[in-house]
Amino acid sequence: MSILHYIPKGDFATSYQEKRTIVSIVTGALVLAAYCIYAFGQYQSGTVVPGDLKFWARTILIFIGIGIAASIVIQIVFHILLSIATAVKRKILDENIDDKEIEKSIEAEMVEDEMDKLIDLKSTRISFIFAGIGFVAALLSLIFNYPPEVMLNIMFISFSIGSLFEGFTQLYFYRKGIRNG
Amino acid sequence: MAKNFEISNNIRRLRFFANAMTQQELAEKAGVSRQTIIAVEAGKYSPSLELAFRIADAFGVKIGEVFDYQVKGDS
Repeated sequence: MSILHYIPKGDFATSYQEKRTIVSIVTGALVLAAYCIYAFGQYQSGTVVPGDLKFWARTILIFIGIGIAASIVIQIVFHILLSIATAVKRKILDENIDDKEIEKSIEAEMVEDEMDKLIDLKSTRISFIFAGIGFVAALLSLIFNYPPEVMLNIMFISFSIGSLFEGFTQLYFYRKGIRNG
Repeated sequence: MAKNFEISNNIRRLRFFANAMTQQELAEKAGVSRQTIIAVEAGKYSPSLELAFRIADAFGVKIGEVFDYQVKGDS
């Protein structure tokens, strides 16, 4: 075997961390879309009185709860499905493989190391920048005489979009690489 | 004025001469994910000093045999 033939396969395959990030982005986007459809649908149908902050506070709190619950459930389901997929893949490649070996390869695939932590830190900064911009925009909306519900929505939506951008930034760093400092 | 360095590595060559060690095997020996080994090998991620030593240890060589740097002018 020459060194030219020793080209590693699957360099561009999606890793566990990338898959997990994609699942988080999809979950966050679905919850945000559901919030927009429900809340603005109610507002446009006229069932919400302008200035009814209780409705907005309740709706936002409910959707924060839904977001957390959906995220936990979907991550658990994702872990189970990925473990099954890895086990099946290993069994197809090697029929005589024992369960301990399969368990070891699943654990190896799901390990979180220093690069993951660095990417997490850098992408969290993007999320905070979005949340900060949203907070300032929310305060500005009050100064420019927009109703308080606009302020609440700007804050909630900027936090949600910031979280989505955190995911996109993570995917970008996983693909393009990351430098210390 | 600080100088700019470009860090390069010989991981692919060392893996080849270590009985064609796979990236997964190296990842397991260094205690990181395969994704991180891929990124280090491609020069997309500069590992911490600790990880650099662990990679060198996995091959049983000195750190200078795995990683090298070239001066690329002043920053």
